[in-house]
Amino acid sequence: MGKSGTQRDPFALMAIVGLVVVVLVLAACATSSELPELELRAQSINRVVMCPVCPGESIDQSQNPLALQMRAIVVEKLDQGWSNGDIYDFFVERYGPRVLLEPPTRGINLAVWLVPLIGVIVGGALLFFVMRLMVRSSGERPGETKREAILTDTVLTDEERERYFGRIEAALTADGPATDPGDDEDEGVR
Amino acid sequence: MIVDAGNLALVVALLVSVYGVLGSFLGGWKRSPALVDSSRYALYSVPILLLISVFALVYAFVTKDFGIAYVVENSNLAMPDRYTWVAFYAGNAGSLLFIAFVYSVMAVAVALSMVRRLPYTLPYATGLLGVLLAFFLFVIVFLANPLDRLAFALPDGQGINPLLVHFGMFIHPPMQMAGLVSVALPFSIAMGALMAGRGGRDEWVDLGRMWGMASWLILTIGLLLGSWWAYTILGWGGYWAWDPVENSALMPWLALTAFVHSIMVQKRRGMFRMWNIVLVTVAFTLAQMGMFINRGGPVPSVHSFGQSTMGWLFLVFMGATLLGSLAVFAWRSGSLKSRERLDSILSRESAFLTQNVLFLAVAMVTLWGTIYPVISEATQGLTITVGRPFFDRVNGPLLLVLVFLMGVGPLLPWRRASTRNVLHALRYPLGSAAIGVVVLVVIGVRQPVALMALAVIIMGIGGIMHEWVRGTRSRSRKGESYPVAFGRLLAANRPRYGGYIVHLAIAMLAVGAIGSSFYDLQRDIPMSPGDTRSLGGYSFTYLGLSERSFSDRDEGTARFAVTSGDRDLGIMSATRTFYRDFRIAATRAAIRSTPLEDFYIVPSEFGEDGQTVFRVYVNPLVWWMWASGPLLALGTLLAVSPRRRLAPAQVTIPDGTGLARV
Repeated sequence: MGKSGTQRDPFALMAIVGLVVVVLVLAACATSSELPELELRAQSINRVVMCPVCPGESIDQSQNPLALQMRAIVVEKLDQGWSNGDIYDFFVERYGPRVLLEPPTRGINLAVWLVPLIGVIVGGALLFFVMRLMVRSSGERPGETKREAILTDTVLTDEERERYFGRIEAALTADGPATDPGDDEDEGVR
Repeated sequence: MIVDAGNLALVVALLVSVYGVLGSFLGGWKRSPALVDSSRYALYSVPILLLISVFALVYAFVTKDFGIAYVVENSNLAMPDRYTWVAFYAGNAGSLLFIAFVYSVMAVAVALSMVRRLPYTLPYATGLLGVLLAFFLFVIVFLANPLDRLAFALPDGQGINPLLVHFGMFIHPPMQMAGLVSVALPFSIAMGALMAGRGGRDEWVDLGRMWGMASWLILTIGLLLGSWWAYTILGWGGYWAWDPVENSALMPWLALTAFVHSIMVQKRRGMFRMWNIVLVTVAFTLAQMGMFINRGGPVPSVHSFGQSTMGWLFLVFMGATLLGSLAVFAWRSGSLKSRERLDSILSRESAFLTQNVLFLAVAMVTLWGTIYPVISEATQGLTITVGRPFFDRVNGPLLLVLVFLMGVGPLLPWRRASTRNVLHALRYPLGSAAIGVVVLVVIGVRQPVALMALAVIIMGIGGIMHEWVRGTRSRSRKGESYPVAFGRLLAANRPRYGGYIVHLAIAMLAVGAIGSSFYDLQRDIPMSPGDTRSLGGYSFTYLGLSERSFSDRDEGTARFAVTSGDRDLGIMSATRTFYRDFRIAATRAAIRSTPLEDFYIVPSEFGEDGQTVFRVYVNPLVWWMWASGPLLALGTLLAVSPRRRLAPAQVTIPDGTGLARV
């Protein structure tokens, strides 16, 4: 790490790199597989349909004769040009909605999907506000002391800080560290 | 005779542990050292008593005593002798005894570790440790006694579920159960400190963290072993299916992971005192939930081997401990004020808090998905299934954010950071992620989600490497050679560098998970002897099937000559065993594992005229998941290993230390 690390504007560099990466990725996003498309579709269907007699296992996983039959049905229906949805409906009609490992996205069962989504959003917002509140309540501190400024900001140059903490660290570890239980300290604070 | 002794020991152990619980709490409350000590010694005697019972049960198995119901249910004459030594924990009652024994040993170890260091917390903690022990012993003695005799002896037993006769299976279930009960250890220390009115002092933190990490390690190894077992035996080429039992082991792990991180904030900054106790209580509650689902919960699962109807008892116990914990909170919460305050939203403290919340979110999503079928059935009478697609889709993004935090969090300073110094600290991680993405695109990784996930992982690894290189170089400037400097660096701040090693292992795990879920190739291929096919650069010739019959099973072994490009990879063989008595088939896949990818063949159906359908997988990077295990254990051990204590005379604290100790 040279001086340049601190002098150059990190934002510009990162923005450029980020842009290049995004362009590259977009240019390159085309997946291919050596398997025929229908077979891949069959596999993705098999992973969503549960084997009715082996709890929790998809027909892709299970070696039960029924699962083998159902896999054959999937292939057959795909050959006849059925869509994925048609095939799911076909199995749901026969075995009930529990045959799908993916809960339905309509009706009351939409709750399966919505509850986590809402939970994560509400939880995230709550976390943010709680942290803001925690920070505010400590806001009455008098101005920052020099010590804090050294620790958290850039009063020292990188090199100075490195040297500074290098010395502390050397003192701490020169075969005579403090015995304080709180000695598991960082060797430096960036 | 020996069996009777074992039975007697069980009853005595129950009485003694009940005395231990009552005496500990009463002695702590009345401040009676004599009562506290005698209760603790009572608890110390439990492992010895249970050892007698365990010995009696093993003896019954080894001598094939079919006068005992449990032996009849779980072994038979055909069982190989080496398995009779361990078969005692394969069933419900025996595994309970085994768990009670293991737990009693751990509980005594915890009590011993506290005697000197936490004398005021000790009575309450031993009381709490004893509660779970007494509960287990109550269940064993009254509901599931493995030493119960039959009215008359039978000539032969029924034998054991053949899927369990596998090396991984003799380690994984006990490890998993031990992991679940071990969550009680940090819980007891934390809750004990709170009950003793000493939650506001941070004295319990070191031991709480140590036992929390121990428990975390056991749970982690249990999870990894379980995945490995599923991968090699269940023959579907996968290792994790978000099955209810898997979820029930994952949930406490998630909460405990949050705890072992956030406890560091209390250790270092005296913050999050209440939050840490909440986290460990959540972890303990989820662990009990796990035991409940394991012991015959309401959700059907592939893993329900030790099922029974006693699950509901575990649920009642869980509810009772949760209510008790809440009561203690209400009573003592005043003592949990933070020493320090949060200085900024951009700081390591807040990164820890965010990480905690995310881990809890994943745990809650998992809980929700696991129990939703039960809710749906109860409310609408409609059975639906919540399976892998749901968990992948909802937990996937959350886990990705966690991996991101794993890379960023450790690089943030305590207390307060500015955007500028964050970016400065992240220049190497972000740089390596950018280079990594370019390289990945060039070598053909085109899946956007996989690319993003890998970039985040590379970022995390970049950060760790940068820290290591920086620290090593700064030490080597004092004249230490690089290896010495690196070793001393790791030893100097063990929680931190041990943590980095664990993070590295988690990154390996994540790489394996991404590789195998986005880039797996799978194909069902019908083959007759002599056929040659290829998949993913491997070509394989089916040499034929050799069949052998044993007294209890038929084994068919399919052999393949495998080549990859010009390289001859030799012969691989996959076995399918059919157990006649159980009408269960078990497969052992042929797996050729390299760090780059696994080539995996498993017979799926044997047809007539020699044709067999084989399922063939090419699973990239799975090797890294299993390789992460040892590294993970090593990192955890380093992170909890105590520092050697030095003579006070040597302490000459230079002026600078005050600064280093923020």
